[in-house]
Amino acid sequence: MTMAPVRILVVDDEQHVRQSLAAWFREDGYEVNVAAGGREALATLARDGADILLVDIKMPGMDGLELLRKARELAPDATVIIMTAYASVETAVQALKDGAYDYVVKPFDPDAVSGLVRKAAERYALLKENRALRERLESAAPALITAGQGRMREVQELVERVAPTDTSVVITGESGTGKELVARLLHAHSSRRFGPFAVVNCGALAEGLLEAELFGHERGAFTGAVARHRGKVELAHEGTLFLDEIGDVPAKVQVSLLRVLQEKTLMRVGGNTSITVDFRLVTATHRDLEAEVSSGRFREDFFFRINVFHIHVPALRERSEDVPLLAEHFLSQFARQMNRRIDGFTSDAIAALCAYPWPGNVRELQNAIERAVVMCRANRIEASLFPFAHAPAPEDLSIDAMEAAHIRKVLASCGFNVTQAAGLLAIDRVTLYNKMKKYGIERP
Amino acid sequence: MKVRIVVLGAAPPGLAAAVLASLPSPLVAAAMERRKTPEATCYSRRRGQLDALCVLDNLPAPAEGEVVAAVTAIDLFAPPLAYVFGLSVLGSRRSVVSWSRLVVATGEDPALLTRRLTTEVVHEVGHGLGLIHCPVPDCAMHRSFWAEAVDLKKPSYCVLCQQSLASHRVSQG
Repeated sequence: MTMAPVRILVVDDEQHVRQSLAAWFREDGYEVNVAAGGREALATLARDGADILLVDIKMPGMDGLELLRKARELAPDATVIIMTAYASVETAVQALKDGAYDYVVKPFDPDAVSGLVRKAAERYALLKENRALRERLESAAPALITAGQGRMREVQELVERVAPTDTSVVITGESGTGKELVARLLHAHSSRRFGPFAVVNCGALAEGLLEAELFGHERGAFTGAVARHRGKVELAHEGTLFLDEIGDVPAKVQVSLLRVLQEKTLMRVGGNTSITVDFRLVTATHRDLEAEVSSGRFREDFFFRINVFHIHVPALRERSEDVPLLAEHFLSQFARQMNRRIDGFTSDAIAALCAYPWPGNVRELQNAIERAVVMCRANRIEASLFPFAHAPAPEDLSIDAMEAAHIRKVLASCGFNVTQAAGLLAIDRVTLYNKMKKYGIERP
Repeated sequence: MKVRIVVLGAAPPGLAAAVLASLPSPLVAAAMERRKTPEATCYSRRRGQLDALCVLDNLPAPAEGEVVAAVTAIDLFAPPLAYVFGLSVLGSRRSVVSWSRLVVATGEDPALLTRRLTTEVVHEVGHGLGLIHCPVPDCAMHRSFWAEAVDLKKPSYCVLCQQSLASHRVSQG
């Protein structure tokens, strides 16, 4: 692959200087443009762009400093090198304060300017690579998969509003609803998105281990601490710390976390050095934290500190309109991973997916689709590939839930044609609309 | 490609002839001539140097299939560069080289000076034919800033530069 040559723009009112430098840099393989003054330079910059600008500081009309400021608006990533005489070194220092990369004093040694431009070209290459990596990172950012209606739309709006702030967020919702995805979204849309996203599942660790995982430990802090370990709070510096199952955190650790949140410093277990940390806290739980506070199992002060903003992720059964879309998403994901060609679902399969109450939420749906992709021998996924399609209805389903599931199934089977579905259900359209409203059934 | 050496002003006996005789393939020695240094227009008394761009402008136009390479004892500058060993405008088939800074640490060894001057003439002629600097350390087209660094190069083109010259990817003027 051939790299595009670095583009240099030489700006000097002396024609001789422009010609010499242009000849000199072209010998190094750079693409060189020249301009006799500020205005011409800005026009050239707007027309052809430039990666490195060599600007004479003293020019009639627009001087180098003014050109530097205007050029930075047109080409913020361009590297500006100021050329100056001994008499105007102070002005060159001002140029550095205004964002110039460096300056060279005229007349300059060829090796000095050649080395400086080479370094500027390397800086440009790094900036370009950095930008490309950031774009890749942004394009790989997670996204909520929703039909864009109802309660998930509210979640999406809340995420968009709170993500750019540094506010602490508590995410609630049943297991498998996608609380971590919402946390990742908050991180991906914040100013900390290029910083780390550190995750701790607080429900999975015993108290001592959780402390070490959160705050780190020094070598020899306890039996088995054979080396220094940096905790997740420290690793989340300049990024986001996501504490899943915060409702399961023991009271002692709640106190330690509260202190870190208030003082923005921590001490590793067994250590005596204070470490400054700057992170945004996002927590999640399937528990009702207010009830936990009332019952005394969760500290009130800690609750108020973390619960500045609250986002509730609805269960999948409360947003059944998203089921077909999520199913398609997982199908395409697993088919790609397993290198299978599967075109979609049969209408029976979609009806079965929509009728099922998904107690395990999106995670259960994801697992069901993965299993179906493994088992599928045809070009479409059939209802028989879902284990729940054969299972008898759970005994604890109420009449309402049974009715809602049946209506969903019938609607899905006839492509959400309400007139047709009403005919199949032997009820009139108005009644069907009322029941759809009652059960929160929306057209996908 | 034929090379015409133009000696500007005085030169040690045999130096230019030795350079001409040492030119590597695909360069071919064509002729050597002596001219006056264009001091009136190109010499800066304050700096004690010749303006390289001005010298290039005052060189005779190269004939078809020919490159003109001027050599001079006077140090060259190309403002704002304080000095240059030589200069050429890419693809212009005109170049100039000074041996003023190449005599450093030669111990008055004429063979070493001839080798350095030949290397830099080959370098500038390469630019005149459209070659840019080469990353191969011992290629004549490798950039060097000190006389001793010139000794690390060969007075010839590497395979890559030869291919560039042969494939007409570089300008023939």
